[in-house]
Amino acid sequence: MSMSLVATLPQKRETVLDPVTFEVLKNAFATSVDLMSEQILRTCYSFVIYSRDFSSALCDAEGNTVMQGSGDIAVHVGTLHFQCKAVIEEFGDDIHPNDVFAINDPYRGGTHLNDVSFIRPIFSEGRIIAFAQNKGHWADIGGPVPGSFNVDAAEHFGEGLRITPVRIWSKGVYLHDVAQLLVSNTRAPEQAMGDLHAQSEATAVCERELLRLVDRYGTSTVEAAMQETQDYVERTVRRRLEGLPNGTWETVDYLDLDPGAPESLVPVRIKMTLEGSGIHYDVEGGPAIKTFLNSGYGTTFSAIYAGTKTFFPDVPLNSGFYAAVTADIGPEGTVVNAGWPYAVTGTVSGPYEKLMNGIFELWSQIVPERAMACAFNLEYLLVGGRDARAESKQYFMWYDWMAGGWGGRVDRDGSSATAPVFGVGLAVQPCEGQERLSPVITTMHQIGTDSGGPGRFRGGCGIEKGGTLTDAEQAVMSYCCDRARSITWGIEGGLPSIPHGVWMNRGTENERFLGSIFSSVPVQPGDTFYRPSAGGGGFGDPLDRGAEEVLEDVIDGYVSIGRAAEDYGVVITEVNVDLDEYEIDREATAAKRAWIRASRAGWLTEDAASVAERYRAGDLELLDVIRRHGVILDWGTGELFEETTRQHREQMQRRSADHWGR
Amino acid sequence: MNTLRVAVDVGGTFTDVCIFDDHTQQMRVTKVPSTPSDPMIAVMNGVERGEIELDKVSLFSHGTTVATNALITRNFPAAAMVTTRGFRDVLEIRDGTKDDLWDAYNDVSPAYIRRRDRFEVTERVDYLGNTITALDEQEARELAERLKRRGVKTVAVCFLNSYANPEHETRMREILEEVIPDANVSTSAEILPEIFEYPRFNTAVANAVLAPLVSGYVNRLADQLRVGGYDGDLLLLHSGGGSMTPRLAEKFPVRLAASGIAAGAISAKHIAQQCGYDNAVSLDMGGTSTDISLVADSELRISQEWQVEYGHPIIFPSIEVLTIGAGGGSLAHIDIAGSLRNGPQSAGADPGPACYSTGGDQPTNTDANVVLGRLGTSLAGGVKRLDKSLAEEAIRRVIAEPLGMGLEEAAQAIISVANANMADAVRLVSIRRGYDPRDFALLAFGGAGALHGADVARELGIPTVVVPPNPGVTSAMGCLLVDIQHDFAQMYTGLASAADEDGIEEVFVALETEALARLRHEGVSDENGLLQRKISMRYSGQWRSLQVPMGSGPGALEQAVRTFHEQYEREFSFRQDDAPVEVYQLHLTAVGKTPKPAFRPAEVRAQAPGEPAGRRPAYFGDLGWVDTPIFERDALAAGTRFEGPAIINQLDSTTVVPPGTRAEIDEWLNIRIYLEETNA
Repeated sequence: MSMSLVATLPQKRETVLDPVTFEVLKNAFATSVDLMSEQILRTCYSFVIYSRDFSSALCDAEGNTVMQGSGDIAVHVGTLHFQCKAVIEEFGDDIHPNDVFAINDPYRGGTHLNDVSFIRPIFSEGRIIAFAQNKGHWADIGGPVPGSFNVDAAEHFGEGLRITPVRIWSKGVYLHDVAQLLVSNTRAPEQAMGDLHAQSEATAVCERELLRLVDRYGTSTVEAAMQETQDYVERTVRRRLEGLPNGTWETVDYLDLDPGAPESLVPVRIKMTLEGSGIHYDVEGGPAIKTFLNSGYGTTFSAIYAGTKTFFPDVPLNSGFYAAVTADIGPEGTVVNAGWPYAVTGTVSGPYEKLMNGIFELWSQIVPERAMACAFNLEYLLVGGRDARAESKQYFMWYDWMAGGWGGRVDRDGSSATAPVFGVGLAVQPCEGQERLSPVITTMHQIGTDSGGPGRFRGGCGIEKGGTLTDAEQAVMSYCCDRARSITWGIEGGLPSIPHGVWMNRGTENERFLGSIFSSVPVQPGDTFYRPSAGGGGFGDPLDRGAEEVLEDVIDGYVSIGRAAEDYGVVITEVNVDLDEYEIDREATAAKRAWIRASRAGWLTEDAASVAERYRAGDLELLDVIRRHGVILDWGTGELFEETTRQHREQMQRRSADHWGR
Repeated sequence: MNTLRVAVDVGGTFTDVCIFDDHTQQMRVTKVPSTPSDPMIAVMNGVERGEIELDKVSLFSHGTTVATNALITRNFPAAAMVTTRGFRDVLEIRDGTKDDLWDAYNDVSPAYIRRRDRFEVTERVDYLGNTITALDEQEARELAERLKRRGVKTVAVCFLNSYANPEHETRMREILEEVIPDANVSTSAEILPEIFEYPRFNTAVANAVLAPLVSGYVNRLADQLRVGGYDGDLLLLHSGGGSMTPRLAEKFPVRLAASGIAAGAISAKHIAQQCGYDNAVSLDMGGTSTDISLVADSELRISQEWQVEYGHPIIFPSIEVLTIGAGGGSLAHIDIAGSLRNGPQSAGADPGPACYSTGGDQPTNTDANVVLGRLGTSLAGGVKRLDKSLAEEAIRRVIAEPLGMGLEEAAQAIISVANANMADAVRLVSIRRGYDPRDFALLAFGGAGALHGADVARELGIPTVVVPPNPGVTSAMGCLLVDIQHDFAQMYTGLASAADEDGIEEVFVALETEALARLRHEGVSDENGLLQRKISMRYSGQWRSLQVPMGSGPGALEQAVRTFHEQYEREFSFRQDDAPVEVYQLHLTAVGKTPKPAFRPAEVRAQAPGEPAGRRPAYFGDLGWVDTPIFERDALAAGTRFEGPAIINQLDSTTVVPPGTRAEIDEWLNIRIYLEETNA
């Protein structure tokens, strides 16, 4: 199916409600959805839901979203109406009071298999007036890998359980056999059953609230308010566009690789058109890849909405927004419109964040006061096996994700140690909680010095986390990330940050760089694993950053004395470290900056093979390979990726070098 | 004989003083301007203005915003954090989330202690408390020397898994105290012996940065009072709704972080009790915001988490108060899509509402109330005059004309939206806990609460509104009504069905011993000490737990599990009797009963009000303009009954009794407004 939501004419519906009734009902819809979220947060079983990977929505009788939760995770934005419409399509007239449906189908607008939606129709005067929906990330949804993140999957059969729209409660009668079938296909059936009930009950909270409004204001008024709430948002977006320039803007961002193809970055191209009354995107991706980093249409639209929304932060999200923002994402079979049966569970690590960051880059030119360079990529490490600390040797899953750095901004540094852009509410877990639950000891959880991309405004800092496996059997490790090669980029002359990727037994004879995506690597007790999350890309030329600002960063250890000189050309000497006393060598700084200014264009065109050779020989630091030479290697072996380097240098030329010295 | 009880509540604008005379059983109040640079000046001014003879005072209690303000302004002394190697940035990494999910330019505020002031030492214990790496004493001592050279005044010691074994933290403290004898040291396991490093560390760090300031303040104030002749303990209201003495406040200053907010809620509980309502919701509406708190089954809701700013949690039991940006000064405006909005932006005191003639030209709720005749043009006994024409002009220009409405219609629309927003907030605090607001009474106070109370109640289907005698100083009264209270907790995880009941009993007994010792330390005699056990439980596999009362002796745990199922069902409308229940934490609250003022009821004589002090037209929605009598509050004796519409003036507040309601002055001189005849 070719997915295109073509721009509709701006709506001209008459408003029928008086301003007070409208404002009161709009706010009451928000309350009804937030109450649903509040309840699920307090009753859920999945720690992923508990960490705020969920969302709630009130949809109208056609399945259009009227209101989304104010604390919802971004990646669910713009998928809830697709899922609701899928239930309506599937069941038509066969939907009754006190029914509850479940769906997770990524080929019908869902995100990935772990995100299971529960949808409850709300009736009044004998007809459906709305649907309440809660979508939450189950910790496991079956398939060959614990946590259901199977990097090796190329099709959904290798991922887990696909739930097409299915009825779980029929006219108030609980269909235990159906529910049991679903949860029995997961590794944690009791937990899944707990979440199934908790999520379904949460939708009842929204139903109760909506019916209270119906009691008070009447069915037709509530229905009118649901429509007008969407019209209101659409009107808001269109008004905001007045006064912005018309035109088209284009960019390309990349995924690291396709495991089924020769070394090369995988493009995601975005073209945005503003024509006065709406926003239109044309999105094109490379062919679907042989891993689970493809995106279904639901997630692609979600990324487009979420990326755009970042530049209109105060506009509420509902189908009115989706009417004003349209997109053509091309035919099926690409990384941005995978279609059945391509594997899509890792979509957020793949095209999702490339689309969001690409859209940030485009809008940064149109609304410069909100400009932002690229943010680190969502990443998660999963170590699973038998916990040998107790005789029962229960299955454990150390499922860990990190915060990281966001891009530098037009007038300030990037935000450090922040949740990924796909879900700003997604909380990292406390190490003390993890240590109780799994035989993994965290050896460090700290900010990575020099992880922020250098710039006039530095990218936010990323994190470093290290762990040691203790008493475990049959343990394996998988990792889902990206941007070990398509390094988090700067804009307006800013520099890239650092590569993602996991190191095993770093600093020992058995050191191995495992990269940004791998599956089921065996781990033995005593093995250590370390990985950084990237900082944000820099904004503006780092040589324009004030020496005093660089010094402040050195005092706090955000930047090392070494990189202060190499990245910023600021030469700092220690006076009394105990008392934070340092000196800026003004003369040396001027000389260093002049030298960098004169040399840097040449560094970017230097023979890549010789750069790789110097890295392997230990003559060149990893950060110089990336930030000066724009060369991409296997960071463990030093093997050169030629095509990848060509693509990366092209990007760096456009985003960084072209802006230097202007 | 010492017959006076004094309560002083320091707010942002005013410092309120309540004086209760045990002898006459009368309360009087006074207000002086706050002195933010040194709050003690206002406290002593209040003492003077109130003509309080300190040697006649039996109890002096104090709600203070000193700690809250220090956390907001970040006016901290030289502080440092010492932590486990590899974990220097727990404060800065937090949980990584942002409060503002969409505005990429709205960051979470920085950690209370900067990275350059956070230091690591080599040590590590595991989740069971076993030592993996011993504390490197050499390194610890060198670090202490370094902190001394840096002039550090206060240190937070925060080690991983210290809740399971605090020995390393304790040892680190000893070393620090040896090397820097005059420094304050807060250790995380002592401040908060709970799992999860980020909230525990942050609470300990907040304690550390507050310690010098708060102990300085409370000791100076206690000295001043002593010099004036007060020979009792200064009692400080803490976030949990109890009080503590300066001795404990020095050690746990972070417990004062929500002191200022707690007082209003405590008053609300008291008023509800006086009036015989088990369930009440209070609406404390001021100039820029409204505080909402809930009394359910005669108890205030307590929350375990509190924060001054997002991302910096302070984990102590705190009275749950929801603050929303709706006050008299909230701005009405039309947004870009042409929709009418109200707040959360506020005109504040500067430039103020349009009718204040102080430069504001944007319409506020106060302006709408003036235009509709609900608020008179002369306030505070004639001290403040409001310009109605400026209010009309602002509403006409900003709201009425763009929306094509008449002036009154527009003003009414502004008020209706404000009321609906407050009603939504009440719904959030009540419904999300499983309570139906229709079973509640609404207590309206603060400067603007009584203007809006009846309309908000109607919006919520609440049948009764109570307006206390001095709505503007109701919070201060709360300080008179509290007991000394301390909260203790201990982790205890395991299935309830497999739990060792004797073991649990032992933990409680140990907590009780500690609690009684602390009460004695505060001068509470054992017979005035009251201990309450509670237990947190959850369905096995869940993440959040629920606190329920716990008894003692055999069968106590079983009973607690039954209570858990019941309470769970009430809060979340479902229960799972077959699911295994897990114990998470044991809690103990120690209360040192302090004698309460004996308020004397007035004699109630059914009567009609006398002649109104005046009349003016007031606008009431569909009814339009209605000729409305104006009464002076002082002139309304207990037992006075009348029907709406009526407007009641007093120095610090105006009460609106809308048409179709009945009002009555009760024996405590509260105005009770009945919205439904059947409930009267």
